[in-house]
Amino acid sequence: MRWRDWTARLHLPTLAVAALIVAVWWALSLRYGAYVLPAPPAVLAGLRDVVRSGEVWTHTGASLYRIAIGFGAAVVVAVLLGLLAFLSRLARGVVHDFLAVLNATSVFVWIVVSIIWFGLSNWAPIFTTFMITLPVVASNVVEGVAGVDRRLLEMGDVYRLSGRRKFTAIVVPSTLPYLVAGMKVGFGLALKVSVVAEIFGVTSGIGYVMNYSREILATQMVFVWALVMIAVMTLTDKLVFDTVSRRLTRWRT
Amino acid sequence: MKLEVSGVGKDYLIPVIDSVSFAAEAGEFVCLLGPNGCGKTTLLRIVGGIEPATRGRVMLDGQPVIADQRHQRRVGVVFQEDRLLPWLTLRDNVGLVLTPLELGAAERRATADRYLGLAGLAGFEDYYPGRVSGGMRQRAAIARALVIEPDLLLMDEPFGALDAQNRRIMQNEVRRIWRQTGRTIVFVTHSIEEAVAIGTTLVMLSARPSRVREQIRNDGRVERARLVDDLNTMIMEEVERQQGAGPPGA
Repeated sequence: MRWRDWTARLHLPTLAVAALIVAVWWALSLRYGAYVLPAPPAVLAGLRDVVRSGEVWTHTGASLYRIAIGFGAAVVVAVLLGLLAFLSRLARGVVHDFLAVLNATSVFVWIVVSIIWFGLSNWAPIFTTFMITLPVVASNVVEGVAGVDRRLLEMGDVYRLSGRRKFTAIVVPSTLPYLVAGMKVGFGLALKVSVVAEIFGVTSGIGYVMNYSREILATQMVFVWALVMIAVMTLTDKLVFDTVSRRLTRWRT
Repeated sequence: MKLEVSGVGKDYLIPVIDSVSFAAEAGEFVCLLGPNGCGKTTLLRIVGGIEPATRGRVMLDGQPVIADQRHQRRVGVVFQEDRLLPWLTLRDNVGLVLTPLELGAAERRATADRYLGLAGLAGFEDYYPGRVSGGMRQRAAIARALVIEPDLLLMDEPFGALDAQNRRIMQNEVRRIWRQTGRTIVFVTHSIEEAVAIGTTLVMLSARPSRVREQIRNDGRVERARLVDDLNTMIMEEVERQQGAGPPGA
C-alpha cells in the first residue's frame, strides 16, 4: 500500500483527537493513581512485556480457538438454516420466528446456562459464543435467501437448469454478500461475548487474563488486554472481511 | 416449428384473456400487438409454458405445451428485463443455459462466444453485465435465448427499455438474426411501427378480456404506411373500449 493511502486512512483530525484523549488520560492518571487509571507509559510497558514473553499469543490464541469453534459452528448451522429456508417457505417462517427469540435472549442467560450445563470448561464460552452469534449470522443468510430475485429463478426454469445448477449459479451468489456481512457482525460479537464468558471458570483467554489482572491489582494489564482485543478486532475486520467482501463483489464495479 | 394457439384463455381475479387463437408456420415472425394490459405478456408466458392457461391449449408441432412440465422442445425467452446474472461474465451467462445440454466446457465456451458474436458482442465476452450498456445486455439476453438453438423464440418487449436509436439498431439485428437462423419467433410489442417493421404475421389483440381482433400477413402487399395507419386506428378503438368499460366491478 502506498504512503498516501496510509495517510488518508489514518486521517489527521482523528489522530489529533486521539492525542488529546491520551493527554487527558495521562493527566487524570497522575491525579487518581495507578490502581484506578494507570499512566500510558505503564500500559505500553505492559504491552511490551506480554509481547516479549509470548503471553499475548497464548491468551489471544485461546480466545480465538474458542471463537473459531463456537462461531464456526454458528456459521455452519446458519448456512444449513438458510438452505432449509430456501427449500421450504414453511421452514422459513419457523426459522425466522426462532431467530427472533434467540436474538432477544441476553448474553448472560447463555453464560449462566452454559456454566450449569458444561461446568467450568472450554465449552461454556464456546456454547455462549455459538448461541449469541447464530441468530445474527442466520438472520442475514435467511434474509439473503428470501431476497433472491424470483425473476432470475424463473429464467433458470425457462432454460431448464437443474435444481443444483440454479442453487449454485443463482441462489449462492446472491446470498453470499449477506453471509459475509452477517459473519462480519457476528465475528465482532463473538469476540466481545466469548471474552465475557471467559471470566468464569477457564484459565486462559483474554477475558480470563483481564479479570485475573484486576484481581491481582495490575490495572495496567487490564488496559493492555483491552488494546490487544481492539487490535484483533480491527485487524480481522480490515484484513479478512473487507478483503473477502471486496473479492465477492468484484463484478459490481 | 409450427405453433398453434387454440382458444387460450386466462382468468386471474377477472378474465384477462377471453379466448385467443392463431397459428404460425415454422420460421414465421409473429408480432403480438394490443392495448396495454390486454394480456400480451401473459399470452406469451402461456405459449412458453411458464404459466398455465385457464382454457384452451398451445401446440408445438402437434405436441401440447403444458406449464411446468419437462419436454424435449427448446424454447428461448427474452424477457422485458435482461435477467442476466450480474456475477457472471457475458460468456458465462450465455454458457450457463447450455449446461443442461451436456456439452463439454470447451464446447460450451466456443458456442457461447459464437452466439455472442452473432449478437454483435464479439470482444465483450469477459465483461460483467454491469459494465456494458443496456442495449448490450439485451443483446446478450438474445444471444442466451439463441444459443440453445430454440425451436421457438419468445420475446417480450425486449427493447422497451432502450432509447429510439438503440431500438432501431436492435430491430435490425433481430431481423437479421431471424433471417440467418430461421427460427419461429413470437414477439410482443406495443409499438405498431416496430411490429410492422419486423413481423411477418401481425396478431392484434382486442381490449381485455382479449380476443384476436385481427390477424394480418405483413408480406409487403399492403403498403406499410397504410398498415401502420389502420393498426393505429384499431388500437385506439380498443384502448377506448377498454377505458369505456371502466374498472372491473364498477
